Amino acid sequence: MPLETAGIRKEYPGTVALKGVSLRFEEGKIHALVGKNGAGKSTLVKIFAGALQPTAGSILLNGTPIQLRSPREALEKGIAAVHQELSLVPELSVAENIFLGRLPVKTGFGQGMFVDWREVERRAEETLAGFELHLDVRAKAGRLGVAQQQMVEIAKAMSYNPAVLMLDEPTSALARRETEHLFELLHRLASRGIILLYITHRLQELQGIADEISVLRNGEVAGTIGIQEASPATLAGLMFGQTIPTERPADLPVQAAAALEIRNLTRTGAFQEVSFTLHRGEILGIAGLLGAGRTELLRSIFGVDPADSGEVVVDGMVLRPSSPSQMKRLGIALTPENRKAEGLIQNASTRFNMCIASLDRLTTGGFITRERERTVVRSMVKNLDMLVGDMEAPVSMLSGGNQQKVVAGKWLNTAPRVILFDEPTRGIDVQAKQQMFQIIYDLSRKGISSLVVSSELEELLDICHRILVMRSGRIVATLDPRRTTIEQLVVTCMEDGTRS
Amino acid sequence: MKRLIMIPSYVRTAVLELILFILCIALALAAPGFLTAENLLNVLRNVSMQGVIAFGMTMVIIAGEIDLSVGSAVAFSGCLTAYLVQQLTGPDAGWSPSAAVPVSMGVALIVGLLLGSFTGFMRTRYQVPSFITTLALLTGLMGAAELITNGFPINSFPDWYNFLGGGYVAGVPFPAIIFVLVFAFVHVLMNFTAFGRAVYAVGGNAEAARLSGINVAFVKTAVLGFTAMLAALSGILQSAEIMAGTATTAKGWELDVIAAVIIGGTSLMGGSGRIWGTMVGIVFLGIIINGMTLLNISEYWQHVVRGVLILAAVLLNRMQAGKD
Repeated sequence: MPLETAGIRKEYPGTVALKGVSLRFEEGKIHALVGKNGAGKSTLVKIFAGALQPTAGSILLNGTPIQLRSPREALEKGIAAVHQELSLVPELSVAENIFLGRLPVKTGFGQGMFVDWREVERRAEETLAGFELHLDVRAKAGRLGVAQQQMVEIAKAMSYNPAVLMLDEPTSALARRETEHLFELLHRLASRGIILLYITHRLQELQGIADEISVLRNGEVAGTIGIQEASPATLAGLMFGQTIPTERPADLPVQAAAALEIRNLTRTGAFQEVSFTLHRGEILGIAGLLGAGRTELLRSIFGVDPADSGEVVVDGMVLRPSSPSQMKRLGIALTPENRKAEGLIQNASTRFNMCIASLDRLTTGGFITRERERTVVRSMVKNLDMLVGDMEAPVSMLSGGNQQKVVAGKWLNTAPRVILFDEPTRGIDVQAKQQMFQIIYDLSRKGISSLVVSSELEELLDICHRILVMRSGRIVATLDPRRTTIEQLVVTCMEDGTRS
Repeated sequence: MKRLIMIPSYVRTAVLELILFILCIALALAAPGFLTAENLLNVLRNVSMQGVIAFGMTMVIIAGEIDLSVGSAVAFSGCLTAYLVQQLTGPDAGWSPSAAVPVSMGVALIVGLLLGSFTGFMRTRYQVPSFITTLALLTGLMGAAELITNGFPINSFPDWYNFLGGGYVAGVPFPAIIFVLVFAFVHVLMNFTAFGRAVYAVGGNAEAARLSGINVAFVKTAVLGFTAMLAALSGILQSAEIMAGTATTAKGWELDVIAAVIIGGTSLMGGSGRIWGTMVGIVFLGIIINGMTLLNISEYWQHVVRGVLILAAVLLNRMQAGKD
C-alpha cells in the first residue's frame, strides 16, 4: 500500500511553501527527501505528521484519500514520525516512555485506576525484542546514550504498527558507528514492508541508506531518482537548478598582509589540524555539509569553545583563543549562527544591543550616556540601510533581516579587523541578503577581512575571493569561485575520498 | 476590552509614583501626624536599613540571580563587628575603641564581600544556583551569628558608635544619608557605566552577552559580592542603632527586600528593572506601614496588606507589558 500525495499546496500569507507536490512512496523502500533550506521539506513532513493542514491537494494511503487533522489522527491512520529533537521524558523508564499516554491498567478492584506495571514492562520488552534491541526497560530514558534513546523513539513509533515511518534528520547527533546501527535497523524495517521516509541534509549518507531520492526545490518536486543515478553532480543539479551568478564588485582588493592566521587548530570531535591564512580585505568562504565542523571552527577561533591544540596568529601575536572578550580586544568579531539565542538580547532595545559589544569605546571617563549611544546607533542604522521605527523598542520586534543587521552593526561598532560570519543570511529575505553582501563588500574595501560560513553554497560562490571546503572536520580543498561551478562545489563537499 | 480613557504614556510609566502620591495625600488627610517633617524623616530612617540592601538586590535580580541570605548576613555582620570590637578592646589586645571600631567594620565589610563572591563563584564555576547557595548561607550565617554571640547580645560598642544608626546630620538621620548615597551610586552605576549595561545584558541573555565579549562570571560575582557587602553595611548600621550585636535581628529581611524590588517593577526573570523603581518600592512599603501604624491598624493587617501589594504590583506590571 503506497503513500501518495496529489498536488499538495501550502500557502502562507505572502508566500507559498509548497506549490503542488505530487510524490509516490512505495512500501518496502527507503525514500530520502532532500532539498536546500526553505525548499519545503519540513512543511511536507509536518503535513504528513498532521501538524499542518495543506491548502489544497490530497494524501492517499493505499489509494484511499486520508485526512490528517492532528498528530493523533496521523498516528491512527498509520503515519508515525521520529523528530530531530528527541521527545523522551528523561526521568521516566524506557517502558513508560514507549507506552506514555496509553499505559495498560489493572482490571478488578478500582477498575482502570492502577497501572499494570508488569504488563507495561512485558510489552516494552516484547516491542524492543522485535527490533533485536536488548535494553533494560526499567532504566530511566535519560540514562541512555543518544543513539539508544533514538532506538527507543523508533520502537515507540513502531509500537503503533504504522504503515509509514518518517525520520527527520535522525543522524544529526549520532557517531559514525551508531549511524551504521541505525541504518541496519531501518533496512530491517523496510524489508518488513514499511514505507520509510528519510529526511536529511547530509547528502553524503544517502548512498548507505536510500533506495530512492526525491528532491524538493522552491516548493516543487525537482525530480525523483533511483540511488544508482544519484551522483553528487546530479543531486546538485536537482537541488540548485540553474543558478545565475551575481558578480562580486571588482574593487575589492586582497592585500598581501595576513589579518588572521590559523595553524593546526584542533578541537577533538569537532575539527582537526585546520590551517589557513586570511588576508587583509579578503572575503574567505568556508563551505561544507552539515556536521563538517564549520561552526565549531569559528567558535574556537573566537574563543567561545577553546581549541585543544594549535595556534591563532593575530597581528603577529601567537595565541590560543580562550574567551570572546580576549578576541574582541584583538579586533575579532563573530556574528553567531543562532541569532535569537546567541546574537541578541531579545527583550532589550536596538540601541542597547548595538552598543553592548563596544561599551568600552563609548565611555568617556568611565561614563556612558544614552545620547552618545543614540548618535552612534543613528549613524549605524543609516549606514546599514536599516528600517528601525523606534530604537528603544525591543529588538525582537524587528524583521529577521533587520535583526541580523543589528548583530552586524554591534560588531562594526567595535572597529574590528576580522569578522567571522556564521550563516549571515539564514532566515532573511532576498533584499536583506543583498544588503548583507554589501556590508561584507564595504568591509573588504576598508581592508577588513570576512570569514563566511554558509550553507547557501551558491552565495559563497558569488561573494568570496576564495573558498575552503571542510569535510569531517578537515579542510580538504581550496577553490577559486571564478573557476568553480555549483556542481563542483557540492561534489567537493560530499566526496569521501581523503578521509582516513 | 476597550479603554474608556486614553492614558498618556508618561503617566503609564509612572503609575507606581502616581499611586504613591495619591496614597500620601490620602494619609495626610486621614492621619494628622503623617505630613510632618519628623514623621517623614522617621519613615526614611525606618526604610534605610533594608533599602540599602534593596539596591544591590535589584542588580542581582536584573543579572538573573537571587540572594536569600541578606537577612542572616545583616545579623551576622552586626555580631561579627561587635565581637571584633569586644576582642580588640579587651585586656588581651588592648586597642582603643577609636581604632578597634573602624578595623572591625572594615573586616565585616570585607567578609560580606567575600561571602557574596563565594555565591558568585559557586554559580559561575560549579553552576550551583544562587538560590541554593544563599539558602545555605541563610541558615549557615544565622547559626554562625549565634555561635559568635553564644546566644546573648554583645554590648561592646563605645557610646559614639550609636551615631551611625541613630545620629542626625543637619536634622537628617545618618542611615538615611547612607541610603541616599547608595541609591545615587547604584543608580549611576546601572544607568551610566559600561558595567551597568553588562549587568542588564547578562540577565537578558547570558550566552549572547558572553559572545559579545562580556565577562559573565565577573559580572555575576561582582553584583553578588557587592550586595552581600551592602548587607554587611546594613548590619553595621543596625548594630549601631540597637548598640549591640544580636543574632536574632533582621529575620526575614530577605523577603521584605525582594518584595520592594519586585514592587518597583524589576522582573524576577532577569534583564529588566530600574533602580529608581526600587527606591519607589521601598518608600511605598515604608509609607504604607507608617500610615497604618499612625491609623492604629493592627500589625497583623500590615502583613496582609504587604502581601496584597506584592501581587497587585506584579499584576499591574504584567498588564502594562501586555498592552505595549
